[in-house]
Amino acid sequence: MTLFRLECKTHIKSLMIWIVVVAVLTLGLMSMFPSMKDSMSTFDMSTMPKDMLKAFNLSDMAALATVGGYFGYVFQYIMIASAIFAAMLGLNSLAREESEGTIEYLYAQPISRSSIAASKMLANILLYTLYWLVTAAVSFLVCLLFKDSGTSASELFKDFSLFALAGWVMGLTFFSIGFLLSSMLSSSKSAMSLSLGLVFLTFILGIVGKLQDDFQFLIYFSPIEAATPSRVFQDGIEGKYMLTDIIVLIICCLATFWIYRRKDLKV
Amino acid sequence: MPVIELNHISKYFGKFAAVKDLSLTVEKGEFFGFIGPNGAGKSTTMNMILNFIKHNGGSVKLFGEEMPAANLAVKKRIGYVPSDVRFYPQLRVQDLIRYTMDFHDMEENKKEMDELCDLFQVDRKKKFGDLSLGNKKKVAIVCAMIHRPELLILDEPTNGLDPLMHARLFRLMKKRQKEGATIFLSSHNLKEVEDYCSKIAFIRSGQLIGVEDLTKMNKKVKVITIKGRQLPIRQMKAIGAELISETDHEARFMYEKGMAQLFSTLSNLAPELDDVTVANRDLEEQFMSMYERQEGERL
Repeated sequence: MTLFRLECKTHIKSLMIWIVVVAVLTLGLMSMFPSMKDSMSTFDMSTMPKDMLKAFNLSDMAALATVGGYFGYVFQYIMIASAIFAAMLGLNSLAREESEGTIEYLYAQPISRSSIAASKMLANILLYTLYWLVTAAVSFLVCLLFKDSGTSASELFKDFSLFALAGWVMGLTFFSIGFLLSSMLSSSKSAMSLSLGLVFLTFILGIVGKLQDDFQFLIYFSPIEAATPSRVFQDGIEGKYMLTDIIVLIICCLATFWIYRRKDLKV
Repeated sequence: MPVIELNHISKYFGKFAAVKDLSLTVEKGEFFGFIGPNGAGKSTTMNMILNFIKHNGGSVKLFGEEMPAANLAVKKRIGYVPSDVRFYPQLRVQDLIRYTMDFHDMEENKKEMDELCDLFQVDRKKKFGDLSLGNKKKVAIVCAMIHRPELLILDEPTNGLDPLMHARLFRLMKKRQKEGATIFLSSHNLKEVEDYCSKIAFIRSGQLIGVEDLTKMNKKVKVITIKGRQLPIRQMKAIGAELISETDHEARFMYEKGMAQLFSTLSNLAPELDDVTVANRDLEEQFMSMYERQEGERL
């Protein structure tokens, strides 16, 4: 519990910064919706390659004129940022103690390695959950603000509930992969680059899976693609992708504990 | 029952043996010095004792319990001062001390905290990251002692400390030792080891090359320094003295046989000598002699 508190205290500032930045970004992007909606009818995207439109979730132009459709399009980029945040939480969690030398203080205390891993895992899950809850709530409120009269608030809430769940699982999946990598690394210097690499690689896999029917299985390797609001608003949560994320999450967490208990700590 | 019991432990990093087949016992209540040159394996050994790294062979027992199985129970009884103090820079000193007490499931002991902070003149309100090297070390000492550990492990604890704090630290350690604590001190400062430790272990190239009881050591071996134009090297060797060093007009010997024979030889040689001093062998001599013996050459 002590380490849990310490971990939360350590990250509370960066959590606040992320929340504020993402909230402002969401508000900024959504504030463009009214003007986008009005000019949507004059857009002619038919000359653009269809695959490109599909890759960027622009294939259904009519949907972009609705608050949900527009949100689904713009928020995919915030999903990428959220995935990077989650992966960084995981990557920094264990490796940073070794990188900054604080492990020498921490592990001199009566605390087992499993407790260190468990406290850090729970604290970071809580941090991501808080981040995601606030982000989803702000997004919902912003959408309510800009919704047109034809859109039902309860329908929007239902869509957002599913999307919040999908985004939460997506973030935890990236967190767990970062957490596993963190148990193997002894420095957090590469956390940012690894997080970016991990998120963009899986994002691109999702695009390839979406464009080529033969490679549709790649969506299983793309937690972002499976949780994008446009997909969730349209098809709901797809159990097969959610299940894959949960399996990855469990395996990564268990492997982290196994590795961390056996590794030589860098002091 | 020994407090620290290392039985034939080794540590390999790839093919490099940082510690080789090291066995060591530290009894309860001892003030134990652990000395060796840089890269000798002192920190690796301490890291194995504290279970930061796993040993490749042998066993580590603390308070009679096998590590790492007993890690949690044993760490409650240990205080550790690292050589390079890198605690959480964003935390205030008082928070660090409180977290330490929390880790040890202690009720906040304000009296103990005040006493230690006052003794080491620790500014509790400052953030750890804003402290100087010496002040960081003092915080590490307070954190290591706040729960009154039965075993204190200190790695170069006086680095960065001013002479006043240095004296206070050793006075406190002596006090804790009298109260029953065991002190395991790794240091490069042979003077402080000699002044305070009752037993010392020498380590070099990952191997233990000797354990000495300091109280007995000083009485047993003498260092004789002879100055003169004609140095009686042959005569001194004949009575069993071992030549340590030699210049044109000065020779130093190590001698551990009877004083009567020494003084009789020296009085016969007196007309040829300018000066003779006989002193207890200090730790530095012992340290040098052990390393020289191991290397097979004079330093």
